[in-house]
Amino acid sequence: MANKRKSQRLWRGLASLTASVTALAFVGTGMVNSFRTDIDKFLGTSSTRLVTDEEDEGEKYLYTSDYASTTELVQGIADLGERMQEEGTVLLKNENGALPLTEDEKSKVSLLGFSSYYPVQGGDMGSSLTPNSGTDADTVDFVGALDAKGFKINKDLKDLYAALLPNFQTEIDNWGNVSLVNSITAPMIGTPFTSKEPSQSMLSGENANWKDTLKSNNVLIVTIARAAGENRNYMPGEAGVDPAQKLNQTDPLGLSDDERDLLKAAAEAKKANGGKLIVLLNNASTLEVQEIEDNADVDSILEIGLPGGYGFYGVCDVLSGEVNPSGHLSDTYAVKNSLSPAAQNYGFYAWTNADDANYINSEQIEAEGIYKGYKYYETRYADTVLGQGNADSKKGSIKGAWNYDNEVTYPFGYGLSYTTFEQKLTSVNVDLTAKTVTATVEVKNTGEVAGKDAVQLYVSVPYTDYDKENHVEKAAIQLLDYSKTGVIEPGASETVTITADAQYMASWDSLADNAKGTKGTYILDAGDYYFTVGNGSHEAVNNVLAAAGQSTDGDAKNVQTWNLGALDNLTFAETKNGTKVENQLVDMDYNYWEEGTVTYLSRSDWDGTWPVTYENLTANDKMMEYLDNDIYEITSDNGELPTFGAQNGLTLADLKGVIDLTDERWSQLMDQITLEECLIRTGFGGTSTKAIDSISSPEAVQNDGPNGIYSYPLGQYANKDKESGDPCAIDEKDKNAGYMCGVMANETVIAATFNKELVHEYGVTMGNYSLWANLPIYWGASANIHRLPYNARNHEYYSEDPMLSAGMAAEFVSGGKEKGLIVAIKHFAFNDTEINRSGIATFMTEQAAREGELRCYQKSVEDVGTLGVMTSYNRVGVIADNAHTGLLTNILRGEWGFKGLMSEDFIMDPNYVHLKEAVVNGVTMSCNTGDNTMQAVSEKYPYWTVKNVEKDAVLTNALKQVMTYQAYALANSNAMDGYSSSTHLEKVNTWYDNLFMALKVIFALLTLLNLVMYVRATNKKEA
Amino acid sequence: MSQRKISLGLIFTCISAVLALLGCIFYVINTKTNYFAGNGVSTPVIACLAIAIVCMVVYVIIGMRGTPVWADILPVASSALLISGLMNFASARINGIAAVMTFENNAQNMADLKSAIIGMVLVGIAAVVSIIAAFFDVTVEK
Repeated sequence: MANKRKSQRLWRGLASLTASVTALAFVGTGMVNSFRTDIDKFLGTSSTRLVTDEEDEGEKYLYTSDYASTTELVQGIADLGERMQEEGTVLLKNENGALPLTEDEKSKVSLLGFSSYYPVQGGDMGSSLTPNSGTDADTVDFVGALDAKGFKINKDLKDLYAALLPNFQTEIDNWGNVSLVNSITAPMIGTPFTSKEPSQSMLSGENANWKDTLKSNNVLIVTIARAAGENRNYMPGEAGVDPAQKLNQTDPLGLSDDERDLLKAAAEAKKANGGKLIVLLNNASTLEVQEIEDNADVDSILEIGLPGGYGFYGVCDVLSGEVNPSGHLSDTYAVKNSLSPAAQNYGFYAWTNADDANYINSEQIEAEGIYKGYKYYETRYADTVLGQGNADSKKGSIKGAWNYDNEVTYPFGYGLSYTTFEQKLTSVNVDLTAKTVTATVEVKNTGEVAGKDAVQLYVSVPYTDYDKENHVEKAAIQLLDYSKTGVIEPGASETVTITADAQYMASWDSLADNAKGTKGTYILDAGDYYFTVGNGSHEAVNNVLAAAGQSTDGDAKNVQTWNLGALDNLTFAETKNGTKVENQLVDMDYNYWEEGTVTYLSRSDWDGTWPVTYENLTANDKMMEYLDNDIYEITSDNGELPTFGAQNGLTLADLKGVIDLTDERWSQLMDQITLEECLIRTGFGGTSTKAIDSISSPEAVQNDGPNGIYSYPLGQYANKDKESGDPCAIDEKDKNAGYMCGVMANETVIAATFNKELVHEYGVTMGNYSLWANLPIYWGASANIHRLPYNARNHEYYSEDPMLSAGMAAEFVSGGKEKGLIVAIKHFAFNDTEINRSGIATFMTEQAAREGELRCYQKSVEDVGTLGVMTSYNRVGVIADNAHTGLLTNILRGEWGFKGLMSEDFIMDPNYVHLKEAVVNGVTMSCNTGDNTMQAVSEKYPYWTVKNVEKDAVLTNALKQVMTYQAYALANSNAMDGYSSSTHLEKVNTWYDNLFMALKVIFALLTLLNLVMYVRATNKKEA
Repeated sequence: MSQRKISLGLIFTCISAVLALLGCIFYVINTKTNYFAGNGVSTPVIACLAIAIVCMVVYVIIGMRGTPVWADILPVASSALLISGLMNFASARINGIAAVMTFENNAQNMADLKSAIIGMVLVGIAAVVSIIAAFFDVTVEK
């Protein structure tokens, strides 16, 4: 009996084991199907293949690469990375021609500061550097670049810092893993900045004679760094600094005593040994560096940004004079950032009735209105000169009456060169019929070194009594457009013609009557318009003030004026596609919900309207109706239902390159799609747009950016079938298959080039990369405005100025488009902070919204026709960005005419995804992933069922429309390369499918066997 | 009637049942957290864990007097159900985990995630212990 029971136990136990593995295999198969795309990405496998009929002779490849091999490609990227940095490095100070270095000086370099050896080359998270080694274009740090460019550095000092490495390593929390990195890092949300610069005693403790080594290596380069990163933030003032450090640091973007001591030691060494002291600013957020500027011992200051994988080659070229610096600042360097009006409302301001379950967490009121960055500093300066608007109030002042010289270290647009240039604005023609402003500028190199120069065209528009009465604000100076010269030899000149879009000097007037018979339109005030050029915004405003008869340093002769006799509210009453404009964002004004709560800053009274901090606010009942994330009610009998599931015999490949959406083949094709496909694909759009059988739409893989297409190695999705006819197929053993493309300098560097052609080239280069890597969708053109330098994610955005941002984003998109790459603009819109970025309610005036952040994107849509948009996490007022009809439907798709795919950002909470509202407002996909079944999508979004949706004409038509936009974007991209009319997808079993199948069969049989053996043991008679 | 004494099967099954119950409680707690509340409650997770626990409890009660042959299917079923519950639990949380670990990484979300991780670990251990328990009887004759 005992033996019998023993056998039963054994077979029962084994049955339990094998049954468990069988269950794991069956449930695991379901999981695999849910995350198949991500698994394929991770493993480098493919679950589908393209099959084209042999007799099909249609053109399969519309786009061709400019490179013959991956070697040429990656070396082209490296070359571009170097040139981008050369033009984006900004020379801020250069006393006595300290730079460039001589050949002799190149061999006497001492690098000081641990960031010289371990610099910030990309974001801590987001646009991080992807180091490459063993490829045809390996990435380098500063030391590596110096070595490659023939510099000789102080080895003792290098060894000293290497020995100290454990002391300034920083813990970084990414992907849930805490790891040690060698460079300085940006603070996570809610944590303060910690300085890591070694103290003098630490340096001397490691090598007591380190200062002696500077005698023969007396070219002293000190690097001051601040990191950047997604989901990171600097808090203004001392609240943002680690209180335990006691380093006399008053702001995370200001200097610590350890950094001051380092500069002091370098200055003393220079005095003792001769030589030069050069400071590199390794940053994306502007730093508080007035004390470095004032330090007479510091010869030169260079802003190098975050140089990426090849940028340090460019920095070396600038140091050596191989290249003449031509970068200009993309942001204002304020003496004290926390005193700006925007900083008065920057932080975590929780609703008193917060409800985290619905992401109702905090609010942020941008009470500074249009006065961000230089538009604040220069306008207030102008008003102090003009003696108006209480501009000399103490509010926002460092000390006493507000004085520009006390407040700004380097203005927006400022930058020096090794030569001198003279720019003359020779003519300006304003043509309101053509809606253009054409300016001609003569640029002459008046120095002794060849170089390029940035031409910045500014305008000062009239600020009138009408504006004051109607709450229309006007910056005293604003960048209208810009250009970059070629290399101009000493004594030579170049004529630059800029044709600017005149709509960008118009102002939004929320109270004006419009052509639609409602309120809100763009206006041009009556009065004098001043156009000028200058080395930055301050020189420009001084020119204008001089022309207006004020006594300033400006050059009145370099100003052209144009007079408008009467207020014009008609020229820009319709957008380029003929849509009549009207107020769309009035609900972004907090006063719309709670009248009289917020006072927005006005230049009519700087003192009386200076922003107070809006905190401890309570969302009222009306606001809560929208904050609860349930806005659109699914209904029925509300219109004509669309056609689904027709058999018209078309495939998406038949529409390749068809840009006319009114072509009837589009409607015929989209009639074939099923409602189920629409529901699944809008609900599950994350990481790639999946294949749609009914229209033979392929899977198109998405990539993050903007510092390159870096989500996957070059070879992961590359076509490795050289016999396929794909001109960009690579060899299985391609040396560059593991190359990762997160290598470009960050966007502040790109903006600082002021070179649209160069950025266009970057877009083309990424387009080429996408052809080789088979990666057609790129979330690459981040264009959120730099509201404040405290947003640690500024490294992924261009500038505080919308027109500089707009020009760069549009050229990048345009360049990519040439090669069929969908370069999407993001994060549309108002993702101004990483604090509570999911759920934060962002408030501002419609004028501030339209003339600030929205202009950063407008050009990319209206002029270039971007095919992709990524929305943002935040709320627009109290309505989630993805559910805001005014922003997405009426402005983006309506006024601007956007036709293309639109993805939500990485929102994972189905409630906050707002799927039904998002689809109704033109969003084509959420970022979630899941199995290609209605069951899976309905489990995620319970209301997202065929039964629930099929009778709602508004929703079903919207579903079909957004899928049409998505198909349109793909048809006009390189996602369709390799496809012709007969091409269709076939499912293939990957190795892991086979593994799971084998597991299921084997373990099911084993379970059966164990059960049989159990029965046999049970029936067995005891001996 | 023969006298019976407790065997390892009872201990392991009880441990497994308690762990499964705790895992289930942590799952329910997790579904109430701010971050995961919007994901709802997964019926397969609750069903698998609940049925597994019931199987184990019934198995123990019956086994105290000697396990009839038909009841030997219960530990087999409970193990397979616990594994199924664990996989469904993980499947329901993978997207959230990815988001919290990356784009929505903050102290509150990490705290919300913790109960999910603890729950999954508990259910995983419960499944392993349940398989081990299946090799032993609840009681044996003295």
